[in-house]
This record gives sequence, C-alpha cells and structure tokens, in this order.
Amino acid sequence: MRGILSLAYITFIEGIRSRALFGIFIMALLMFAVTVTLTNLFMRDIVKVAADLSLATISFSGLLMVIFIGNSLLSKDIDKRTIYMVISRPLSRTQYIWGKFAGIVMLVIAAVVFLGLISSLPVYFAGLTYENPEAIFKWTIYFSAIALIAMKLALIASVTIFFSSFTSTSFISLMLTIATYIIGASTETVKGFLDSRAGGVDISPLMGFVIKCVYYLFPNLATFDIKLQASHGLLLPEGYFIWALVYWFFYAGILVSAASLIMERREFP
Amino acid sequence: MAVIEMESLTKFYKKDFSKKKVCALNSLSLKINEGEVFGFLGPNGAGKSTTIKILIDLIRPTSGKVTIGGKKTSDMTVKRMIGYLPENPYFYDHLSAKELLKFGGRSCNMDSEAIKERSRELLEELDLTAAMKRPLRSYSKGMVQRAGLALSLIHNPGILIFDEPMSGLDPMGRIKVFNLILKLKEEGKTIFFSSHILHDIERLCDRAAILINGNLNRLVDVKKDLGRGDTLEKVFMEEVKKTGGIRE
Repeated sequence: MRGILSLAYITFIEGIRSRALFGIFIMALLMFAVTVTLTNLFMRDIVKVAADLSLATISFSGLLMVIFIGNSLLSKDIDKRTIYMVISRPLSRTQYIWGKFAGIVMLVIAAVVFLGLISSLPVYFAGLTYENPEAIFKWTIYFSAIALIAMKLALIASVTIFFSSFTSTSFISLMLTIATYIIGASTETVKGFLDSRAGGVDISPLMGFVIKCVYYLFPNLATFDIKLQASHGLLLPEGYFIWALVYWFFYAGILVSAASLIMERREFP
Repeated sequence: MAVIEMESLTKFYKKDFSKKKVCALNSLSLKINEGEVFGFLGPNGAGKSTTIKILIDLIRPTSGKVTIGGKKTSDMTVKRMIGYLPENPYFYDHLSAKELLKFGGRSCNMDSEAIKERSRELLEELDLTAAMKRPLRSYSKGMVQRAGLALSLIHNPGILIFDEPMSGLDPMGRIKVFNLILKLKEEGKTIFFSSHILHDIERLCDRAAILINGNLNRLVDVKKDLGRGDTLEKVFMEEVKKTGGIRE
C-alpha cells in the first residue's frame, strides 16, 4: 500500500506542477469571468444560466486535464522510459497501475474542488444581482453535480489508464480515450432514440443490437451529467448518487484491473 | 558464492509487423560472485542492455533461467537487494532530486528519518546538494545521471546493476562516477555494469565478459589474463575479428 501511495503522490505532484494545468486553469477562470458578464445579458433565470455555464466549464476544463495531462502521466512513462526507474523499485506492475490511477484521481479531485469553489462565485453573484422568487436553485444539487463531474473525469482517467497499458505511444491512447469519451457521452441519447422509435424511423435489428452492445460496453457518461437538474434545482431520484457510485466503482475497477493484468504481461524493451 | 546466476538465457525479439524474429541473446550463462565487480562489454546491439533488462524484469527471456540471490528476478525481495541505473535515465520533469530520493526510499519501506539521512549523504557525495530542490528537467545530463545513481543507492542495496553509467558524461562527471563505483567496490558491493569505455572496465572490474552478436565470446579475468602487453582493448579487438564482424 505504501508503494501505491508514494507513486500516487509523485504522480499527483507531477500533474499539479504541469504547465498545461496552469493553462487549463487560466482558461477556466476566464470562462467563469465570461459567465458573470454573459448571465447579465439574460433577463430571466440568471442563476440557472450561471449554474449551467459554470458546470459546463468545470466539466470541459476537467476533461482537457484528464485527456491531456492524465494521459501523459502514464503514457509518457512508457514513451520516455521513466517506467524503468519505477518498475526496478520494489513495486509490482499492478501497484504501478493502481498508484498511477490513484495519483490521477487525486489530481482530478484537487482540480474539481478548486474549480468547483471558484465556480460557485459567479452563481452566487448571479443570485444577488437578480432576485427571482420563482427560481429554484439548490446548492446541494449544484455540489452533487460537481461531485458527479469528478466521478466522470476519474472514470475517463481509468479509460486512459486502460488504453495506455497496451498502446505503444501516448498519441494512440489519447485518440482512443477521446473516441471513448465521445461514444460514452452520446450512447444514452442514441439508446433513448432507439427505445422510443422517435419519428417512426425503423432501425434494423442488427443496428439495434450493435447500439445495445456499444451502450453496455462503453462507459455511460450521461449518468454523471446532471447539469440540467442542478441548474433547475430539480431533485435527483432517490439512490441516484449511490447507483452512480456503484457504477463508477464497477466500471473503473474493471478497467484498472484489466490494465494491471495487461501490464503484468507487458515487456519494456 | 554466486549472487547472480544466468543459465542459457536466450531472447528473441519480434520485428515490427512481421513474423521474423531477431536473436538478441543466445544461450548466455554467467555467474557473478558476491562482492565482485563485473564488466559487461560489447559493441552496440551485442545484447548487453537486453541482459540487464532481463535481470531487472523489464523483459522476460524467451528461454533460460536467471536468479538473483537464488530467487526469481520478479520477486520483491530481489528488487530490494538491487540498485539499478538505466542507460540515459529519464525521470519525472517536475520532481526535484530530493523528492525523487524520497520516492525511492518510501518504495523500499524506509522510514522518513532514514530517507532524510541517506539522501543528505548521497546528494553531498554526488555534488547535488545545491540543486536538490530544483526540478530534474533543469538538470544537465551528468546531473541526471548522478541523480539516477543516488536513486539506485538510496536503499543501500548489496547488488548494483548499471547500464552504461558513464555514457555521455563529461570528463568531470566520468571521474565522479568512476570514484563512486570504486568506493562501492571497496564497500564490498556486487557491481554488474555495462560500458563501452574499456579503460574504465579494466581499472574497475575483477572480471569482464565480451558479448558479440548476442553470444558470450570470452570471459576475461582482469588480473590473470591482462598485463604483459595485453590490454582489454587488444583482447576485445581480437574477439571482434574472430567473430568476423558485428551484426547491425
């Protein structure tokens, strides 16, 4: 356990000191500033718009962080052969993978907490500038949405860990992670379309089967997106958060365990 | 007593996108004794790094057996016995030498006080005290090499495996590394290192192996076989000639 924690710590330090992270944070701060200005253009539901934009900013900035920095934190080890230094220590390859994953998750949590706190400012000020007694906004749901964004990003981190465990360059794992994100973010909508037979469009059974396979195989990232509920102050169904957590543990656990198995067999010539 | 034992080690690599295989190491058998300084020399592509990577468990042999202290190289207790310096080491850009050594110590279950004390000693010995808080990406090649040596020594291992420890170093850097290996030899450590610098091997090693095209061509006992006009360079050139050329 000590080995995993010490590797997680240096992974976290390496990520937090990355110049790219500063760039992402500056971009996020600018977007929050724009949110304050932009919300004033709306005559109604200013808090809703501010919450929506702030959550979208956290999600987008976090995504850039996981895809670019998170991906490089493992792939670069293999590209630049830093892994020689780690694997020659008394650490198993499984510990290496879990340590890396834990480090990236720590980075995600730190970044989301930081951005989440900053993001609450434009939402708070929006509430002060325009009082609408009809508007329903609940901070608890807003912060639940931020927690779910953190879970989504950590899940994408497990995807990037999985791809990095068998690809030879960081570019390939980056591309595969982006593709998985795009599929994962849209499967819920596609399956919804399939189930509702919207517009009376007929879908062939084969296509329906493929869509179902993709739906169950790829991570369902829509589970972690409750921007709509947060901005409208809608309550989540009972047990939603727990089920999301169970899904996260199950999916991320399988991917990181599979990455460990692949890594145990991999050679580093 | 032999601490490193290799028995008929063979390694084939697959060529990219083809079924052709390249033999990097052909039935290598060697025994390295406790407290011995053993040099591993050969031209580029001879199989030196392949052998070292098998010892570190970075790659696995196609056939053959290797043990360190009588145990498999993947065993965690073996890894605690070893200090390894890769060829052209590359570390995390944003970590400092101090943090790198802290990681090295913690991964070997050392306590904080012991890590602090040992880091101070090593950084001083390797002339890195002034730069210990600077990120490693700002280090020169020689400094990175010395930081790598410090990392390999942090847990005071009995067996040291260095892959080209002097490659790319300036004369001052080479002298520092040379003196360090000499000191480690005096402390009774078992040292296995590869190098192209024959003069250094001759001065430091008890024995040396000449590896050409993946085959062990000759074992040289530095005290017994050299001298009276025979230098390691001469012996090495003779072996290369006998082989009839070096495979690229």
